[in-house]
Amino acid sequence: MKKLLQGFCLFLLLFSFTSLAYAQNEIRIGVIFPLTGPAASTGQVLLEGVKLAADIVNNKYDLNMPLAKSIGLPNLKGAKIKIIAGDHQGKPEIGMAEAERLITQEKVVAIIGCYNSGITATASQAAERYGIPFVNETSTSPSLTERGFKWFFRTTPNDDLLSENFFHFLNDMKKKKKINANPIALFNENTLFGIDSRKYQEKYAAKYGYPISGVVLYPAKSTQLTSEIQKLKSYNPRIVMQTSYIADAILSMKTFKELNFAPDAILANDAGFIDPEFTKSLGKDANYILSREVWAKDLAKKKPMIKTIADMFQKRTGKSMDGSSSRAFTAMIVLADAINRAKSTEPAKIQKALLETNLKADQLIMPWDGVKFDAKTHQNMLGKGIIVQVQNGEYYTVWPFNMATKDVVWPFPKWNKR
Amino acid sequence: MKKGIIVFIIFVGALIAFPLIYQDPFPRHMLIMIMLYAAMSIGWNIIGGYTGQVSFGNAAFFGVGAYTTAILLVNYGINPWLGMLAGCFFSVALAIIVGYPCFRLQGHYFAIATIAVGEIMLLVFTNWEFAGGAVGIYMPILPESFMNFEFHTSKLPYYYIIFVIFIATIGVCWFFERSRLGYYCRAIKEDSDGARSLGIDIQRYKMIAFSISAVITSICGTFYAQYVLYIHPTSTMDLMMSIQLCIICLIGGLGKLYGPVIGAFVFIPLTELTRVYLGSEGQGVDLMIYSLLIIILAILRPQGLWAIFNRGTAK
Repeated sequence: MKKLLQGFCLFLLLFSFTSLAYAQNEIRIGVIFPLTGPAASTGQVLLEGVKLAADIVNNKYDLNMPLAKSIGLPNLKGAKIKIIAGDHQGKPEIGMAEAERLITQEKVVAIIGCYNSGITATASQAAERYGIPFVNETSTSPSLTERGFKWFFRTTPNDDLLSENFFHFLNDMKKKKKINANPIALFNENTLFGIDSRKYQEKYAAKYGYPISGVVLYPAKSTQLTSEIQKLKSYNPRIVMQTSYIADAILSMKTFKELNFAPDAILANDAGFIDPEFTKSLGKDANYILSREVWAKDLAKKKPMIKTIADMFQKRTGKSMDGSSSRAFTAMIVLADAINRAKSTEPAKIQKALLETNLKADQLIMPWDGVKFDAKTHQNMLGKGIIVQVQNGEYYTVWPFNMATKDVVWPFPKWNKR
Repeated sequence: MKKGIIVFIIFVGALIAFPLIYQDPFPRHMLIMIMLYAAMSIGWNIIGGYTGQVSFGNAAFFGVGAYTTAILLVNYGINPWLGMLAGCFFSVALAIIVGYPCFRLQGHYFAIATIAVGEIMLLVFTNWEFAGGAVGIYMPILPESFMNFEFHTSKLPYYYIIFVIFIATIGVCWFFERSRLGYYCRAIKEDSDGARSLGIDIQRYKMIAFSISAVITSICGTFYAQYVLYIHPTSTMDLMMSIQLCIICLIGGLGKLYGPVIGAFVFIPLTELTRVYLGSEGQGVDLMIYSLLIIILAILRPQGLWAIFNRGTAK
C-alpha cells in the first residue's frame, strides 16, 4: 500500500510539471471561467461564447464582423486561435494560480476572464505582473478599472455606467411621456450586490436630482418579506428600484400583489428579474417589470447579425444566447482583432493594438456604440446597457428608444386592473 | 523515534529544495497552498483534534488576520509584519469573547455556536464600509522587499516565508503535544468530567488551546492577504474554509501531529491537479473523483492517512 501510494504521488508530480512544445501557427489564448462550483452553468455558457467567436475568426463566414470573412488571422499568415480553458471555481487564489499557470506553462499570449469581479481582480494582477494583456468580458465592479493597470482592459459597461442608465432612462421618459418620477425608494438585498448597487443609485439620484424617500435593505433569501414591503409602502414611492436575486425577486412580487402595492414603476437591477425562472414561476404577475439588461434577443430586429450569431450559438450548444455569452463572444472578437492588427503575438504589441481598438456599433452583436478603450483606465467608453420590460411573459427592449421593439407600458397597472 | 527524525529531516530538506528544482510559478503556488493549509489545519487540530472541540469558525480568525493587516496597511500605512502581530492580538481577543460563553456549551453545541460566529463575522465584514464592505480591499502595490511583505517577480520569498510559518507551526504543535497543556487538553477530550474531577480548569485550558489555534490561523490570514493582495469577505471568512480544515484533519488523522500535514499534502494537490487536468472540460469530473477518493479513504482508513504511513512504527 505504501509503495503504491508513493508511486502514485511520484506519477502525479511528473505528470504535472512537464511542459509541451506548441505548434507555431496557432495563437494560444487563455480563458478563465467558473467552470465548476456555484456559477458553473454561467461559466459553461461563457466558454461557449468564446469558442463560437474563435470559430468565426478561424473559419470563413459571411458576416460583417472583424476577421469573419478570412480564415484565421490574415496578418499572421492565417494563424488560428486556440483556446486554453482554466477553471477558477469561484475562488480568488485559484483564479490567480490559473492565470500564472496559463501564462508560464501554457504560454498563452493573452487572457480573457473571469466573470466574478473578485477573481478578475486577482487573476488580472497576475497578468499585470507577467505583462500579458487581460481582457475582461463580464465583471462589472467599477473598481477594477480604477487600479491603473497597464495590461487590463474591460469591454463590458460597468455597474457605475449601468446604474447611470436608469436615470438617463427616467430623464428620457420625463421628456417623452411627461412622467412624474418623484420620489424613488430603494429596495435592495443586503449582500455584496444590493449594498454596492445602493451606493450608485444614491450617487446618481443626487446627481440627476431625484429625491429618495426611503431605503429598505432586506435580508437576502428571506422566507417572509411582508414587514419590509409594508415599510417600503409607507415611503409612498412612485418608483421602486430593486436589487434581488431570483428567490427574493419572486417572493417580493408575490408580496407586492398580496399587499396591493403598485408604484408607477419597478426598476430592477437584472439578476433575479431576468432569470428564466422569474417569468416561468410568476406567469402574468411578472408583467410590466422593467429591468436593466446588457443584451436581449429582440435587438436582432434592429441588427440582423445578432440573430445569425444567436442561432449559431443555439445550434452548437442547445442553449439560447444571453447577456453573458454575448459579452464573452465580443471580448474574444475584440482581442482577436487587436492581435491581428498587432501583426504579432508579442504582448506589448497586442497591448498597443488593444489601446487603438476602434470597433463600430454595426460590427458588434451588442447594443453598444462601439468598442474604444479609455487611454487611462482601459474601460470601454462606448458600452451601454438597455432596459427591458416584461410584456406577455416575454422580455422586450424598451430603451434606448432607437433600439426599442415595444413601447414602454407606464405606469405599472394596478394589480386588480390587469 | 530515530526513524521519525530522519524522515522529518528529509521532508524539510525536500521542501527547501523543491522551489529550486521547480522554477515555474504553478508548482510553487501549489506547495505554498499546501503549506498554508497544513499550517492552518495544524491550528485547527489543536482545538478540534487534541481538545475535541470541533470549531467551524476558524475561518473567522483567518479573516481577522487578513483584514487587520489590510486595514492597517491601507488606512494607516502600518507595516504588514506589525499588522500580523495586531491580527494575532485581535484573533485572541475574538477567541476569548467567543470562547468564554461557548465553552460552557457541551459537545455539538459548541460546533453550532462557532458556525454562528463565523457567519456573523462574514455578515459584519460584508456590510462594514470602513473594511471595504462587500467589495473587499485591494492591497497597495509596494516595491518588493521583505519589509513590505510583497514580492512581484518571484514566488520564492513567499514560499520560504510560508515554509518558516509551517515549520514553526509544527514546532508549536510538537511542544503542545508534550507539554502539560497538551495532556490536559487530551484529558478534556477523553472525559471532561473526569478531567474536572482531577482538578483541571477545563474552561481555562480550552480557552488557551483555542487562542493558540486562533493565532496560527490569523498568521496564515495575514500571509494570504499579502500573497493574493486582494481580500474580500467570502474569500477569507467562508464557512467552507473552516470545513476544509476539518476535512484535512480527518483525512490525515485527528489529534496527531503529522495528521494535518499528511492531510494537506494529499488534499490540496488532489484538488489542484484534478482541476487542472480534468477541470477545464468543466463537467465536474474532478470533483467526482475527488469525493470518491474521500469516500474510499473513509471506508478503508477511518483513522486517517496517518495510520497508513505509520503502520510500521505505530506504538
